[in-house]
Amino acid sequence: MRHSKRTEILEAKPVNLDGFVEEWPEVGMVAMDSPYDPEPGIRVEQGTVVEMDGKPRAEFDFIDQFIADHAIDADIAPEAMAHSAEHIAHLLIDATVSRRAVLGVVRGLTPAKLLAVVKTMNVVEMMMALQKMRARRTPSNQAHSTSARDNPVQIAADAAEAALRGFRELETTLGVVRYAPLAAIALQVGAQAARPGVLTQCALEEATELELGMRGITGYAETISVYGTEPVFCDGDDTPWSKAFLASAYASRGIKMRFTSGTGSEVQMGNAEGKSMLYLEIRCILVTKGAGVQGLQNGSISCIGVPGAVPAGIRAVLAENLIASTVDLECASGNDQSFSHSDMRRTARLLPQLLPGTDFVCSGYSGVPNYDNMFAGSNLDPEDYDDWNTIQRDLQVDGALRHVPEERILAARAHAARALQAVFAHLELPPVTDKEIEAVTYAHGSQELPLRDVLEDLKAAQSVLDRGITGLDIVKGLEAGGFTEVAESLLTVLRQRISGDLLHTSAILTPEMETLSAVNDANDYAGPGTGYRPSGQRWEEMKRLRHVVSASNPEEEVS
Amino acid sequence: MGRTLSLTERGPATPGRHSDEVVIGISPAFGAFFSKTIVELPHAEVLRELLAGIEEQGMRARVIRYRSGSDLAVIAHTAARYSGSGIGVGVLSRGTTMIHQKQLLKLSNLELFPQAPLLDLETFRKVGRNAARYAKGESPEPVPARNDYMARPRWQAKAALLHIKETEFVTPRAEPVELEVAISLADAG
Amino acid sequence: MLVVGVDIGNSTTEACVAELGTGPAVYLGSALARTTGVKGTTENVHGAERAIRAALTEAGRGMDELATVLVNEATPVISGLAMETITETIITESTMIGHNPDTPGGAGLGVGTCVAFAELPGRVAGEEVVCVIGTGVDFEDAAAGINAATARGVVVTAAVVCADDANLIVNRLGRPVPVVDEVTLIERVPLGMRAAVEVAEPGRTIRTLSNSYGIATVFELDAERTRMIAPVARALVGNRSAVVVRTPAGDVTDRRIPAGSLTLHGERGRRTVGIAEGAEAVMATVRGIAPVIDAHGEPGTHAGGMISQVRDTMSELTASPVDEVRIRDVLAVDTFVPQRMTGGLAGEFALENAVALAAMVRTSQGPMALLAEELRRALGVEVRVGGVEADMAVLGALTTPGTDRPLAVLDLGGGSTDAALAAGQVHSVHLAGAGDLVTKLIDAELGLDDTELAEQLKQHPLAKAESFFQLRMEDGTVRFRDEPLPTECFARVVVLGEHGFLPVPTSHPVEKIRNVRRSAKHRVFVVNAVRALERIAPGGDLRGLGFVVVLGGSALDFEIPDMIAEALAPYGIVCGTGNVRASQGPRNAVATGLVTAHAARPAEAAR
Repeated sequence: MRHSKRTEILEAKPVNLDGFVEEWPEVGMVAMDSPYDPEPGIRVEQGTVVEMDGKPRAEFDFIDQFIADHAIDADIAPEAMAHSAEHIAHLLIDATVSRRAVLGVVRGLTPAKLLAVVKTMNVVEMMMALQKMRARRTPSNQAHSTSARDNPVQIAADAAEAALRGFRELETTLGVVRYAPLAAIALQVGAQAARPGVLTQCALEEATELELGMRGITGYAETISVYGTEPVFCDGDDTPWSKAFLASAYASRGIKMRFTSGTGSEVQMGNAEGKSMLYLEIRCILVTKGAGVQGLQNGSISCIGVPGAVPAGIRAVLAENLIASTVDLECASGNDQSFSHSDMRRTARLLPQLLPGTDFVCSGYSGVPNYDNMFAGSNLDPEDYDDWNTIQRDLQVDGALRHVPEERILAARAHAARALQAVFAHLELPPVTDKEIEAVTYAHGSQELPLRDVLEDLKAAQSVLDRGITGLDIVKGLEAGGFTEVAESLLTVLRQRISGDLLHTSAILTPEMETLSAVNDANDYAGPGTGYRPSGQRWEEMKRLRHVVSASNPEEEVS
Repeated sequence: MGRTLSLTERGPATPGRHSDEVVIGISPAFGAFFSKTIVELPHAEVLRELLAGIEEQGMRARVIRYRSGSDLAVIAHTAARYSGSGIGVGVLSRGTTMIHQKQLLKLSNLELFPQAPLLDLETFRKVGRNAARYAKGESPEPVPARNDYMARPRWQAKAALLHIKETEFVTPRAEPVELEVAISLADAG
Repeated sequence: MLVVGVDIGNSTTEACVAELGTGPAVYLGSALARTTGVKGTTENVHGAERAIRAALTEAGRGMDELATVLVNEATPVISGLAMETITETIITESTMIGHNPDTPGGAGLGVGTCVAFAELPGRVAGEEVVCVIGTGVDFEDAAAGINAATARGVVVTAAVVCADDANLIVNRLGRPVPVVDEVTLIERVPLGMRAAVEVAEPGRTIRTLSNSYGIATVFELDAERTRMIAPVARALVGNRSAVVVRTPAGDVTDRRIPAGSLTLHGERGRRTVGIAEGAEAVMATVRGIAPVIDAHGEPGTHAGGMISQVRDTMSELTASPVDEVRIRDVLAVDTFVPQRMTGGLAGEFALENAVALAAMVRTSQGPMALLAEELRRALGVEVRVGGVEADMAVLGALTTPGTDRPLAVLDLGGGSTDAALAAGQVHSVHLAGAGDLVTKLIDAELGLDDTELAEQLKQHPLAKAESFFQLRMEDGTVRFRDEPLPTECFARVVVLGEHGFLPVPTSHPVEKIRNVRRSAKHRVFVVNAVRALERIAPGGDLRGLGFVVVLGGSALDFEIPDMIAEALAPYGIVCGTGNVRASQGPRNAVATGLVTAHAARPAEAAR
């Protein structure tokens, strides 16, 4: 067949490199609208849920049981469930109904009911609801700082740049897992060197991740995964109870943590039990709630290619973020994995979280070029910084980032690398050379950096564990190296685990070292003119871009 | 001009006695309901390259069809258990491939090629070659695994669908069957 | 009175705690820590403090109970390493393909004119051809093409293939012929020239093309031409398959690369030797003028670059001008490194000759007073710098049960090999080359490019995983396991490291790796042990030594002490690994010696 010139042009568009599939509800390949999802319903006897969404208690799987016993307020459930889905959806978008009032109803809803509620809503309504239901008033953002060569100097410098650009949480992970202690130290030092109070984490196998947290080398944890069907849970040798136990281990040390889940993981593994992706994700959200954890990273995460390929999949992804917020969890809302070949589609996938604002718009904006991203690439990377800042300015929405002049970025990168040099020297870890500092200051990614002695690094990484090095040793190293301010920042971050303030929902630290959480910075959105709106100093900051023509002397900018 | 694959069932598969053989275990719908991988490599070519890789090393190959499941680890492990050398290769219709050894735990493997979209015919040849070299007791360098972070947006959902579809062809409790393989040029009739 | 002896070494700092009273010293605890900074500088304080505290903890005593800290006169010994290839194999024009594909096909010798596969149909009956099969030709098509030509009477005697297809093609031929495959740069094979292809049966090597007269017979060469082709034959020795194409001007040369020369200054004058002459020549020169007072490399060459690097580091450390730094020893070791042949057609590798060089710099100008002062401030305890390191090592070694004077100490470290002899006065030497050089040789000779792995291969024995439950150790014994091995170990050579089994990601068999490992240790440690002992032995005669005690980190190695003992056996010496204080093994000798020396001075100690 002969093709038109136009077809040829369209065929060559990046969006056509993306994969799209038809729905197949029988096996769970459907976003949120499946005839096989259960009908909402509840029966409570003597304070116990005896039937939920059409299933009697005797037939509960362990997820049903955990939700029924720990996530649903059985006292108010019959009354809450009596409201129609449309009515509850109205409560969600009605600006005059307070967030607190909505929480009072939602506490009694079953998974199928929550699904029924969001099914009545389109994406604009969901965004309106999310604007009101997110826990923290001030939106924030999280970045990845990783290195294809696990180079700690790069991780520190990119952490510093990310911190300076506005991210309040930073996450790293490894190619070679044994490198973890050095990467975690580098992330912590780099973050505090650029802007005090940034919280850091290192995604690892659960035991090591917990140990690094308890030692104060990392500041919080996130990659504790939960799933929506029993077989997938069991594949990882886990249950909701084992995950709750792990959560309490973090809480016992005053360490912030959240769970992770997302649409598509069950069907991806061929174990969706014929349920829609969103229904299964709602079960994950309620397991999180029932475990007493303050927050959740969701929005499909590493399975984004699955909901991304089916009709209304990105609507379902927004719905999962909304439901997490609606059950009063902190929500780190995805946008953290490579999603599309099309820049337009990448942006469209981002706006539903960026426009209403979430606790963390990205649960991993790649602070390093995607080739260096050890989480397998993100929806955004450093090459998108200027676009992001421009969108914030165009729409006057706060995505928590800002444009920073190059000289400040270079200074912060070098400062972070030097602080790491001092800490490594103090802890007798393999030296960070001046040549490395010079290179990392001006580098974009690991390809431009000198190679490190991996043997020495790995030995040293093991010694960090063997010698019992803690966050306090890093503080001492910073102080000994003359980085007193960085040392103080880190010490202040560590002190938070004694006050326990970071255990509150949606807690972050401001650069002034104040905790900002749903307790002291509760979202007070109540319609036009209320809630968080970028203004004053912050808005002035958002107005700055790399190139803005001066209004006072435009003639000087004509060349 | 393509090649056609003809697979003839020759009764229940039996454990091999020759220590110089590698068994290839194909999934329930390979070369049957499905005729191409996720990136449309014909199954005839995939199997031909696997067999060629084994033959070039001076080893023999047998092909069996696993029928009672679509889990790659189980298929590859079963092939290994039926193999006289203890080395088996499992391959799914969408192209995902694994080299297994009979003494290993099922969930373990010698080499796994999880990203089916990144497997080309050259890689399948190398998989066959490595399987044969393991069978000879050699220590081949693992076939280099390719990685591409943009594979997810393109293939993740399609892979899930193909997997589910293949699972529909599972016959519970059916024993593996021995296959006679004939690969011929399509135009040669 | 509670004292601590502290030995600051190049890589580890050792301490021992002892109570001194009227009788002999009572040792309460020992510890070691990594040396911080370069030995002999104030940076050592951290490591020393750590070792002292750890030793006190083991002794169950407190810092406040400590009377004196004894520190050795630490002489910084810095060594530098360099390795450069000194030969290069160059093939001018396309003369030979001598690489070893894993699986060539057929067997025997085939001689004919090189003809591209596509040109086969144009050849006439009776013509003898070697078929050259380029990229993109399927093996079935290749076999069919050759069979068709053969059917027409063309005599296809052999084939050369780009892909890994040799057996696939041979298995489909009506009349099998030798086939060499994986010739990656096949387009460079000159067509129209006469060629010979030889493939040996599995497990055998070629006989004709690796023999100069074999080649002469095949190509009907006269004596002069045979002389020219000789390097080709030599390069093909040991191969299972080979191709030789006769071209008018082809040649293989073994070029020596100018690596620069080394000028050695000794007490008996000055001599210059070219690095490219090999280790033996360099070491003969070193021996000729020993002891070395200084060394210089020819500027602008490999030799010069390496020597000046050592010089710069040392001058920085001692804050003394570069021209005041003196190189006191050089060890040259012959090695070989797999390198891609220049001009090869299939990415052939040749083992090129190389020389590894270790150089050692020593100074007596270490800021010991400053170090002692810093340590005093850090601990709040009196610190004494006392005793020459070698004297102390001897004293410590003498606590090894069964030893007596005259006693020689052999200290095998990472950077240097040291020796000292106690016969009246203690006489000591520091020689370049030790554990680090062994690691480098293993890394280079196995073509690993992975020092971590090389380090593991140096330290631990090997095994071959014959199945998931069965390991064939390098000494031939078999070990069975209840738990299956990790999958990445299957069918591989593994290192029996301290953290379990580490697979070796190369195709070298156990034997090869073991030989390289042992030979590297021999070339460095055995050579240096003999060299060092010769320098301290009375009259240079090893028979004059009574007892040799081996100390230092490398004395913990599983085979080095045995190798040295074996080498020294003919001299009637008692040689073995030290066991300081009958409990510390080869560790803690100097620290123990410091305490012993201090205890032996009662008048001073009582003050």
